[in-house]
Amino acid sequence: MPVMGIESSAHTLGVGIADKGRILSSARRMYRITDKGLIPSRVADFHSEGLGKTIDEALRKAGLSISEIDAIGYTKGPGLGACLRVGQLGALLLGEKLSVPVIPVNHAIGHIEVTRTLSAMRDPLALYVSGGNSQILGIVAEPYRHYHVFGETFDIGIGNALDAFARRAKLNPAWGSSVEKAAEGGKYREMPYTVKGMDFTFSGILTHAERVLGSAPLRDICYSMQETAFSMLCEATERALFVTKKRELLLCGGVAQNARLAQMTKKMAESHKIRFAVAPAELNADNGAMIAVVAEKMLRSKALPKRSECTVKQRYRVDSVRVGW
Amino acid sequence: MKAVLKRRARKEYRIREIDTKIRASRTRNEARIMAMASRSGISAPKLLLSQGFDIYMGFVEGERLDSLVERKAGPEIFGPVGSLLGRLHRINIAHGDYTPANIVVRDGSPCIIDFGLAQVTGTAESKALDLLLMKRSIGRIQYRRLVSGYRDGFSGAGEVLKRLEVIERRGRYQKRTLQ
Repeated sequence: MPVMGIESSAHTLGVGIADKGRILSSARRMYRITDKGLIPSRVADFHSEGLGKTIDEALRKAGLSISEIDAIGYTKGPGLGACLRVGQLGALLLGEKLSVPVIPVNHAIGHIEVTRTLSAMRDPLALYVSGGNSQILGIVAEPYRHYHVFGETFDIGIGNALDAFARRAKLNPAWGSSVEKAAEGGKYREMPYTVKGMDFTFSGILTHAERVLGSAPLRDICYSMQETAFSMLCEATERALFVTKKRELLLCGGVAQNARLAQMTKKMAESHKIRFAVAPAELNADNGAMIAVVAEKMLRSKALPKRSECTVKQRYRVDSVRVGW
Repeated sequence: MKAVLKRRARKEYRIREIDTKIRASRTRNEARIMAMASRSGISAPKLLLSQGFDIYMGFVEGERLDSLVERKAGPEIFGPVGSLLGRLHRINIAHGDYTPANIVVRDGSPCIIDFGLAQVTGTAESKALDLLLMKRSIGRIQYRRLVSGYRDGFSGAGEVLKRLEVIERRGRYQKRTLQ
């Protein structure tokens, strides 16, 4: 039973189709980020204009017609309200038209589960890194089965820290892999390294980097930001692995596309003989296929959310979701 | 006397510059705070020698609190565990990793065995983080015992507990589960 997923929580509009845990297609459109960052209402306009076309593209790539879709998943949150609304309304309309269930999905769980499914992991610890989020998660059975947050950033997400610096340093484009590229050939300069147990903070690194901007070579600053921040993430994750005794580690989220971070986490995991997995870049960027994967699991688990739960929620905590699969 | 060597191993995933710096500073810091704690009569391993990335310390007999908890030991032990933390905070040491894995219990009395992430600080914030980490690692009844022991061991407990509430109300913490 093919399930469609619609993702529209931030700058990317994605529609994907999954069937029995396999991804049949993933179509994406991305709002071009300017130096002003994201303006929610403009992004929402962009998404509503592109939704029909993106749905068609996903169906075409999968070789399916819309009548063959058995359920529609969409991102309920977390994300920008106006943008989430586009995906939700699209899903509700389609669901009504096709008389199929509509399934609200948590965005973070999408990132984790798509990697978990592809790598066939049973009970992994997940390091989820994106613009707004940086969390260490794993499934815990009490008080209900859910993704428990073992550690997370006390201030900003790692992606935000890197992008905020990219804008300040006038890198072009000022987001995504700019800092990673600018870090090539850099040398290490001392930066604040802050890990508290399994939690961490990045604003100290950002402040320090902005302060030395102009007086130190840019590539040295970018290199040191990455090395420091990623070492912190690895150390906190390593501690979480000891605490949870989990034997699998997955890296997911937008910043998981960073090759240096993937290399470091992999090395750390392998040093403890822990299985490691990271999804291909296009599935770590926001996409609809991951939403389809989770929606299908929810559909199969028969713990379908009620229609009244098909809302949007800007702050949708990952640990508030019951994992019924 | 039995001794233990704690050697901070190289972490291959970090570049050497960061790794060396962190291992050396944490070793120095740990030795200094461990000595400070035992001088103040707090139950901690005796510092014998610290050098480079190595610390030699006296062996602590007993059972680790996490395995004790796994064997379904009663919550009574968490009273003394709380009061021990209170006495540590009274001399302005925040532990940084106060979890059952870092406490050894012998004849019902707990001893802190790892000061690797400890710091000397007067702020309620760092002290509250000690409570938060422990709170997330243990059950509700155990935590209640811990808090009551904590209040007994430390007159500034009220301020720290208030700070903990503030931390938990911060956006990202508002619905942290397992509390």
